Parts: sequence; C-alpha cells; structure tokens
Amino acid sequence: MPKRVKVMRMSVEQPLWRALTAYRVLTMLYALGFFLSAYGDFRRPGVAIGYFAVLVVWTLATLPRVAGAAHCTKPFLAVDLTVALTGILLTPVADAHQRVVEGGPTLPSIWTAGSVLAFAVKGGWRWAAFASTLVAAANLVERGAPTRDTLHNVVLVWVAAIAIGYVVEVARASERTLARALEIEAANRERERLARDIHDGVLQVLAMVQRRGTALGGEAAELGRMAGEQEVALRSLVTGGPSPVSRLSEDAAEGAFVRLVQEPDEGADEAAGAESGAGSGPHGPVDLRSLLAPHTGARVTLSDPGAPVPLPPAAAREVAAAVGAALDNVRLHAGDAARAWILVEDEPDEIVVTVRDDGPGVPEGRLAQAEGEGRLGVAQSIRGRLRDLGGTAELLSVPGQGTEVELRLPKDAPDTGAGARDVRGKAGRR
Amino acid sequence: MNDRRDTHDTHGGAGERGAGERGVGEGGGRIRVMVVDDHPMWRDAVARDLAESGFDVVATAADGEQAVRRAMAAAPDVLVLDLNLPAKPGVQVCKELVGARPALRVLVLSASGEHADVLEAVKSGATGYLVKSASTEELVDAVRRTAAGDPVFTPGLAGLVLGEYRRLAADPAPVPDAGDAARAPRLTERETEVLRLVAKGLSYKQIAERLVISHRTVQNHVQNTLGKLQLHNRVELVRYAIERGLDGS
Repeated sequence: MPKRVKVMRMSVEQPLWRALTAYRVLTMLYALGFFLSAYGDFRRPGVAIGYFAVLVVWTLATLPRVAGAAHCTKPFLAVDLTVALTGILLTPVADAHQRVVEGGPTLPSIWTAGSVLAFAVKGGWRWAAFASTLVAAANLVERGAPTRDTLHNVVLVWVAAIAIGYVVEVARASERTLARALEIEAANRERERLARDIHDGVLQVLAMVQRRGTALGGEAAELGRMAGEQEVALRSLVTGGPSPVSRLSEDAAEGAFVRLVQEPDEGADEAAGAESGAGSGPHGPVDLRSLLAPHTGARVTLSDPGAPVPLPPAAAREVAAAVGAALDNVRLHAGDAARAWILVEDEPDEIVVTVRDDGPGVPEGRLAQAEGEGRLGVAQSIRGRLRDLGGTAELLSVPGQGTEVELRLPKDAPDTGAGARDVRGKAGRR
Repeated sequence: MNDRRDTHDTHGGAGERGAGERGVGEGGGRIRVMVVDDHPMWRDAVARDLAESGFDVVATAADGEQAVRRAMAAAPDVLVLDLNLPAKPGVQVCKELVGARPALRVLVLSASGEHADVLEAVKSGATGYLVKSASTEELVDAVRRTAAGDPVFTPGLAGLVLGEYRRLAADPAPVPDAGDAARAPRLTERETEVLRLVAKGLSYKQIAERLVISHRTVQNHVQNTLGKLQLHNRVELVRYAIERGLDGS
C-alpha cells in the first residue's frame, strides 16, 4: 500500500490553451497567405507588409504566453488585442477602398478571433464580451457603414466568444470540484491509515498496562482493569464505528459541497421499514454485527463470521434489541460478574444468533414451570420480537454450563427480504 | 468483532496443569520460541515472560523481513507472531515460513484482531490465535499447547472459521469434477457442533461433558476443522499456480 496518496490534478483547461496556440499560428499563416494572394489589389502594400512583419514576429514571440493561464497576463492580452485592432483599423489605409466597402477581409482577418479567444480562456465570458465588443466596434469603424454582412460577422464573433468563455468557466468549476473531491478522498484515506497505526499502538499500550497491572495486583490491578475497559471500547470503535466527516464545506463555488445529513430517527425509520415490508425502501440492508458491537464489553464477547451479516434495518434492530434483552436477562439472573458470549451465524437459509452466559443456569423443570406460569418476562419479550419477524427463540439451560438463548430468523421470512441470497446459498450447500 | 476476553477461554487453561517447567516439550527438550513484534515493549515483555517460564527464546524480530531471515537461521519450534508488522505483513511471514518449514508452529498474537488477517493467517498455517490482553499464564499455556500441535482457539476465531466454511460451501468450486481435495471442504455435523460450542465460549472440558465424548476427541475435532481449511488453502494455491503455468506456456 502506498504510504501517501498524492492528489493528481487533471486539467480540462490545458487542451484549450494548446488549441489556442495552434490556432494563432495557423490563422497567422492564413492571413499572410490571403494577403499575398491579393497582393496586387492593395493600395499601399508597404503598410500591409509592415503590419504583417509585426504580426508574424508578435505571434511567434508570444507563443509561450498562450501555453497556459499563468503566462497569459493582462498586459499581454491588452497588447495582443491592440495588435488585432490596429490591423483592423489599418485595413482601409492599406487595401483598396472597393474591397473594404465590399466586405473584404481585414488585414489580420480571423487571427483577431485568436486574441478574443485568449480573453475568453483566460477570464471567462465577461472578458470575452469586452474583447469581442472592441473588435466589433473596430470592424464597424473599418467598414464605415454597418452592412448586413458586417453585422452578421460581428454578432457571430460576439456570441461565439461569450459561449466559449462560459464553457471555460464551467470546465474550471468542475475541475475544481473534481480536485477537491480527490483531495477529500485522499485526506480521508490518510486519516484512516494514521488512525489504524495509532489505534494499534494505543491498543498495545492499553493491553500492556492491563497485563502488567493484573500481574502486580493491588492498585495497579485496578489501573489494569480500567485500561482493559478502555481497550475494549476503543477496539469496538475501530472495528465498527462509522468514520466521522473530517471537514465540512458549504461553499458551492469551491466545488465539493459537504453537509452533515441528519439520519431519520429510529421510530420513523421503523415505520418506513414496516411499510415497505422487504426493507427495499430508501435504506439498504444493515450489517447486524455493527448493531451488536455496542453490546460487547469486558464481560461480553462477540463471535461473528468475519463478513457482513446483512439484514433489513427493521429486522436487524429487532434482533439487536432481542440480544440486548437477553444480555439484560443475564445480568438480572446470573449477576454482574457473569460473562456472556454472542455468536452470530449466517446460515444459507437463516440467521442464528446465540447468547450464552456462564451463570448457574436454570434447573431442569424450573424453565417449563416458569413458562407455564407466564413468569418468563424478558424471555417472553424476546420470543415476541422474533415471532413478529417470523423467527423463533429457544431457551436452553445445561446445569453447570449456563443458559443459552438461540434466536433463529429465517431469511425467506417476509420481513427479512433475503430470499434471493437464500436460493443461491441452498443450491451451493446441498 | 470484540474478542478481548477470548483469551480467558483458551481451553485446557494453565490452571488445569501443574506449574513447573512448562517450557519443556513432549520430547523432553526445551521448546524453542521466536517472538516477532514491532513494539519493543511488547517484544521484550513477551520474550521475558516466556524465558522465565522455561522456554528457550532463540530469536526476536521487529519486522517482517527480519522475522523471515532470523526464523530460517534460528529454526524455532514456535513462532509468536504479531500480524501488524512493518516491511512485510505478518500473514505473509506466516505463509513463507510455514511453506519453508511445515514443522513450524505459529501462534498469532494480535492487538486489534483484524478478522480478515487472522483468518488468512490461520488458513496459511497458523494454529493458534490469542489477543494481546491475554495474561502471562494464558500466553505461556498457549505457546506450550501450540508447540504440542494443539490448536489454540478463541470463541472469536471459532466464529470466523465457521463463517469461512459457510462461505466456501456457498461458493462452489468452479470445476465441478475436480478431485476430492479441490472441492470445498465441509465440516461434519459433529465438527460444526464442537466449533459452535467453542464459539459460544465453552471450554473443551465443558464441550466434552455436553457431547459425552473425551477431551482428546474434542481437541481432534477442533484440529480437523483447521487442518481441512489449511489443506484446502494449499490445494487452491497449487491449482492456481498450475492454471497460471498452463496459461503462460
């Protein structure tokens, strides 16, 4: 695994700058070719030659300027636009009057668009609107009178420049969003990696304190006991707890928009789960293990299959509540010193959860007697919960080996909605 | 998920045996132990405890690569292995060393109990698992029993192994007519019964009482569950290698 995760910035803007560089060179050659092909028509070819000399030198010398946003400075843009405008305004001086009136090309012709595009790519649609307005004005001045063709061209440049400027802004925003999402993800992963290492270290120290403290006895033993409790708490947090959100951003302009979402409260959720029946509502299945983990502690051990045990939220909560009731029962009847084990089994056709304690157990006959008298209390409520889910709860007591409560929840029960998995599991097993 | 107290249930606990020279193996010689842990504090404490109990601590190592090198040279009987190691993960160390020296016994001693890792280590040859909050007594007893070839199970590990068998059964092998060994291993009803009782925190003695079988039989059942899993893992590896080899030629 890599030690650090680097955030790679993928640029959606860079291709635009490359295209602009190519565009400027190609349009320069185009304008030059156009001039040479019509050389004979020019009134003052010297002016045109002088202008094109400047244009070629300027275009080639400033190629690095349009290679990226950092080099494309405001002064450069201003000079660039001036070159374009000068070319447009020089056209009537250099070219034949007839050609100018008929709507012939200006000296820089479509090279001008490159200048406007630079504004658009650099500063978005507002800058593009500003530059194309100036170009439009210069064009109108050059023609002398606004013909339909001229207006047509001017509006075209104007709309295209603004559209491109807008697209660039959108692309930049989505690039920022992506970069920010990647940063958050990388930060999360790094945090989790650090947390794993730190937790491992802290767990080691706590276990050590507990071990040594117990060996030393007396006050140290008490310290050891406390360290042991903290170790349990930390470990269930590490293995089960959801990771908290690291930082929140409410700034949509900065890209990612992160907000803590209030989970619907339990009652509402339960109602929703009951209505939709199969738990196919907005909430997917939950891992039963994560609901049982909070029950574990110094005296309660959880043994699970090492993989998620998915159950619809309502059913999972009911099972977890039944386990909680069983553990309460253990404390009530076997005392605080009794220890308990929870075993979760994900069978092909049912989920089996067993809660066993190491208490004295219930003598033979007492159980049936108590049940007959309806004095089973907590056990009765456990049974009720499971019956509602289509499952069963068995109470088993072996003298000297404590009491076991075995909860069985069939997967094809209407409330569990795990039928599809069930079929596959059976086929594989039998 | 949380098996800190597992340690108290490692079966046939030290209390059942006399104190004295627990570091002496069945053959009479001292058991050679190597301790691998990246935390010096832990490594030293474990090594000292084991040495005081009569074990011969032949080497220690602070990272995975060091562990592999030194274990090859020192030839210990038992490797007490932390899974969270720098340079090379503990699971990989276990794989390489057991592959090179099948007689080596590995006892995993883990702090955070990362389940996937523990299961992987057990499949690749480790025969014992203990969380670090185990007492010195439990550790010493676990090392002695690991050296004797008895699996050291915790309820948490039993739950994992049960889950693994269930996953293997639900995921049939891609080649239906493959040999017996290639087919997904199954637990017998008795083995499942025993493993479930271990997962529910019963001691071997209690299990033997409940099923009316001998302590030794319980141990054999538990050992078989691990053995089949490890055999299947090796067969899978070989099959994978053959498939790759044939594809490549």
